Amino acid sequence: MSTTSTSLEPLFSILSQTYSTLETTFYKLPGSAVVARYVKSSHQNDPGRTLLEIILILFAIRTLLQSRTRADNSGKHFVQFDEKEIDDLIDDWTPEPLAAPLSAKEQAELTNSPVIVGATGPKPKLSNGKTVTNLASYNFTGLAGNERVKERTIECLVKYGLGSCGPPGFYGTQDVHMQLEQDIADFLGTEAAIIYAQAFATISSVIPAFCKRGDIIVADRGVNFAIQKGLQISRSTIRWYDHNDMKSLEQVLENIEKERRKKKGPLTRRFIVTEGIFDHDGVMSDLPKLVELKLKYKYRLILDESVSFGSVGRTGRGLTELYNVPASQVDMLVGSLANGLTACGGFCAGTNIVVNHQRINGTSFVFSAAMPPLLSVAASEGINILRNTPSILSTLQENTRAVRAIFDKVDCISVPSHPASPMIHLHVRLPSPTHLLPMVPASPALSSSGKPSNPHSPIPRDPEVFDGDLEERILQDVVDEALAQGVMITRAKRLPGQELVEVRPSVRIAITAALSKKDCEKAANVVKAAFIKVVGKRR
Amino acid sequence: MPSPMAIQSASPTPSMFRKKSTPALNTAASYLSAVSEADARARAHGSTPSSTPALSLSSSVTSSSEDTVLHELDDETDNGLAYPKVPPTSEQIFTTVHTEFGHCANDAYRHTSQYNTEHPVKSVQEQDPPYYILLTTYISYIVVIFFGHLRDFFGKRLKAAEYRHLLAHDGYAALNSDFDSFYTRRLKLRIDDCFSHPVTGVPGRTIMLLDRHSANYNKTQILSGTRTRGLNVSSYNYLGFAQSKGGCTDASVECIKRYGLSACGSRREGATLDLHVQGEALVARFLGTEDALISSMGFATNSTIIPALVSKGCLVISDELNHASIRFGVRLSGANVRMFKHNNMKALESLLREVISQGQPKTHRPWKKILVIVEGLYSMEGTLVKLPEILELKKKYKFYVFVDEAHSVGALGPHGRGICDYYGINPSQIDILMGTFTKSFGAAGGYIAGSKQIVDRLRLTGHSGAYAEAMAPPIVTQVIASMASLMGITLSNVEKSSSSRSLLPRHSDGPLQLVNTSECAAYPGTAASSALPPWMPLPQSMCDGSDSSMRLRRLAFNSRYLNRALRKLGFITYGHDDSPVIPLLLFNPGKMAVFSRLMRARATPIVVVVVAYPATPLVTSRVRFCLSASHTKEDIDTILQACDEIGDLLDLKQGAGERWPLHEIMARAVELVKMDVCP
Ligand SMILES: Cc1ncc(COP(=O)(O)O)c(C=O)c1O
Repeated sequence: MSTTSTSLEPLFSILSQTYSTLETTFYKLPGSAVVARYVKSSHQNDPGRTLLEIILILFAIRTLLQSRTRADNSGKHFVQFDEKEIDDLIDDWTPEPLAAPLSAKEQAELTNSPVIVGATGPKPKLSNGKTVTNLASYNFTGLAGNERVKERTIECLVKYGLGSCGPPGFYGTQDVHMQLEQDIADFLGTEAAIIYAQAFATISSVIPAFCKRGDIIVADRGVNFAIQKGLQISRSTIRWYDHNDMKSLEQVLENIEKERRKKKGPLTRRFIVTEGIFDHDGVMSDLPKLVELKLKYKYRLILDESVSFGSVGRTGRGLTELYNVPASQVDMLVGSLANGLTACGGFCAGTNIVVNHQRINGTSFVFSAAMPPLLSVAASEGINILRNTPSILSTLQENTRAVRAIFDKVDCISVPSHPASPMIHLHVRLPSPTHLLPMVPASPALSSSGKPSNPHSPIPRDPEVFDGDLEERILQDVVDEALAQGVMITRAKRLPGQELVEVRPSVRIAITAALSKKDCEKAANVVKAAFIKVVGKRR
Repeated sequence: MPSPMAIQSASPTPSMFRKKSTPALNTAASYLSAVSEADARARAHGSTPSSTPALSLSSSVTSSSEDTVLHELDDETDNGLAYPKVPPTSEQIFTTVHTEFGHCANDAYRHTSQYNTEHPVKSVQEQDPPYYILLTTYISYIVVIFFGHLRDFFGKRLKAAEYRHLLAHDGYAALNSDFDSFYTRRLKLRIDDCFSHPVTGVPGRTIMLLDRHSANYNKTQILSGTRTRGLNVSSYNYLGFAQSKGGCTDASVECIKRYGLSACGSRREGATLDLHVQGEALVARFLGTEDALISSMGFATNSTIIPALVSKGCLVISDELNHASIRFGVRLSGANVRMFKHNNMKALESLLREVISQGQPKTHRPWKKILVIVEGLYSMEGTLVKLPEILELKKKYKFYVFVDEAHSVGALGPHGRGICDYYGINPSQIDILMGTFTKSFGAAGGYIAGSKQIVDRLRLTGHSGAYAEAMAPPIVTQVIASMASLMGITLSNVEKSSSSRSLLPRHSDGPLQLVNTSECAAYPGTAASSALPPWMPLPQSMCDGSDSSMRLRRLAFNSRYLNRALRKLGFITYGHDDSPVIPLLLFNPGKMAVFSRLMRARATPIVVVVVAYPATPLVTSRVRFCLSASHTKEDIDTILQACDEIGDLLDLKQGAGERWPLHEIMARAVELVKMDVCP
């Protein structure tokens, strides 16, 4: 007992010394005596008050810190100018134009893109008066123009009006929205679901709602633009694995785990973010393997099924149905109501906790008006139809197979997409030796060099080599040629300069169940002929 | 009588205000008999029905009838909302459903929303409440925070299962830790019955709430199956276009029949319809800009277009109270951001001087471009941007201006063209005009308008063009119909002879017609009939602009009346007299819930929005009224009476300035509105 007190003696003396120096410096400050007296006397009268006052002061400081308008002129890089100099600098400054003028190519893209007159569908009419076969629009299930959907939405329109006129938190939640959320959850077999007003704005809000600074996200190198934006907003630590390569994913997960054990850092939230069918190339994820890995390494899985929901699986439930994986194994299942159900908007399905969290933290859910009621009704009815009509999806699959059979046999076309994907990307394969590596390496993960890619960078170790401009020109010619022959297709439109990795140009075909197999084959043959003709001319 | 502080119990109990006001005409029978009596009287005097200019005339609809009041037979509540207090005379013909768009024939209850250069109306000085209010506000927060922590402390030990998902478990970090969710669980949850209330039907003048209750202190809400109609001062329905009957709805119905529901894909990938092209041309003409683009979500318009405008090396100067969508977009853009004090032009100027002279951080290279982003009307404050002063600064400092008109377009200006129209500023002086269709137009989506070069660039580099689904055809139709009616439609000579566009010979199979640019010179211009879809039926009143002019002038009257009346009652409000958004300050967080519940429990229930931290600063919790053209003067009186009573009860009348008693305010409403400056 006495030994401990003696050993602590020096510590006590240091403490009392610091205290007394602090006290003397405090009393040296002007006005400090008044403060001290005030605190003492108020403490004497009412000790509770001291606590209250301290808390109040803390609040006041916090409120002051909240105003973000303070000029940042204390930094070490600040240069002092006088007013005259500032005026001169202002006069000298010439800003760049807000938007650069369009190049001829860009102008052409805008003026030449087809405009549909009247309803879209499998055979729309264009502004030039021609009726074409439509392999461009997302109408997988053929619900566009469905009479039952129209009837139901008109009923809704004359009862609810059109707009919801408010965000969901402020009287924008209509009973039909709740119904749709329930329908989605039931359809997929999750506890709950939440709907967003636009598909593209869904996942870029879902990701930052859960992933914060310091959290770890492991993402596929080939994720779509909306996910890229979500990752950017989240400010989490991001590690990349090779596109759709489960070995690479496992390696990245393993390395992170090792690193964590070494550092003994706190447990952070960890997520795997990937797509069901990739928007960029139509490749399909191996869901069972993903689930296995996420359970093994204790990650949460955010799966974007924007393309696969309503397009694969026996009744269109997406990848979970195709692979027979319970949807509850996917922590956040994000999908689009626009692609598969030809309505508008997106959703995120998951547990009640996941969904309710987004009702407060999903930025584009909270700060945007709720979806117009009639679009929810359209989506609900779409689900209803899919559920009761499995023939829709079987027709779609048959059409997809028929079209794939045609494209797979053409020399100048390479198809990266999964055979079951009704969204088919077509790359041009040029035979000339000046364009090396026309083929996509089957698995770029452990390619020639044998070393894995750097997980800190979205760029793979051996990026695909292609001549983007040339391929784009060729593909545009193909699109124009096909249109001239009565088939509307489209190049996959990208945002050059804004994507994390430049994507190889492709023609994106969207198969629909609304066309007969014969029509699909006919259209595919037109596209094939267009490819052969355009590539042939270049020889 | 249960305390109003208590969470609403399962069975609706009569509130203290139930007894007070019994509406004069509370049954359909009495209302209809009054109508027919008036009719008989008029016939006896031999007058022929005619219409006043402010009323919509349409030969196809007969005078006030079951059609316009009794559209929902299961609406059994007698809360004085279904029938006008004063039955119409036989000269008055209303074509709207009273619960959606109130019947108001009195032409005195009209005003024009316009900037008066001689007597500029300023946003009111933000008043501070007495110190005891501030103090009690802080104390209430301290108390709930203290009890929250106390409950967490014991809860974690005694009811560990309920806290499992808030703590790390099974090797997973909590999705939302107990710390992060503290505010939501321990503060917001207490008053969760005031948020996310589900509704059904049209969010018009009134709204139908789906009643709910909670058996577990708001953790979950159970719908009880009954419904309550309330006066709606919450929806962004400024011009009252949220209607289930009327020209816009007819047009949208016709559109669904012709186009179906979807454009199936993104605009640049084969989902551009003729309707989109027509819609964009009309928006440009409406706003007086060279070109415009539309996108399917207002939020995404900001979050996907701003990154296409600015990038690294650029600077965004943003008002500190800008909307989340703007912040989202700015963060994605990678540009540097600086904020300035809300609507403070001095702060903006000194910031501009600093940033231009200093250049980019560290390198001191000059900025590539500087974009100042402001909102036309701030939806939480009711303040209008000081646009003339910003344009003055723009001349000197050469920055670009981006104005988010989400709330101001349609709602402000003598022609409803927004903030430029209000101030009488030529829209070409603004580089980017952004707005949404969710509010005034009763649709969904947003637009970007500006010079052709800029808009074309954004079509290509904005994210929505390539990736986001195109706007659904019926939504575009609602936009076109409501916007065209605001503009008024110039009919060709053939068309003039017939009374409405629906009777026109159909030329729908002809080639796509667009307005040519020379027609666009006039601002504020009208819509050429040829620029609209030929199949679109529009009644006469919407073609000649009389319907819209009535809407605009009613909204302007309602806004000023409630703004000034609340201040005359002694409340502290923020914002501009002409703003249809009116925040009334409550300060104490506890008062929010009570205010909202008391309003909802009145004999004539009133549905309000309450907002607090984090949407506002900690101390300034508020209730926000959003007015609409669909409200009648009697509706505003109802709101005032409710505020007056509840204000006394909750000690809310802390404002400075001259006060008038309620009856005087109601009697002198027109005078109050017409005053140049409110004393
Ligand atoms: C200023 C502002 N910008 C944009 C938006 C988003 O518009 P929307 O609800 O149409 O997504 C809002 C909506 O609340 C807003 O207030």
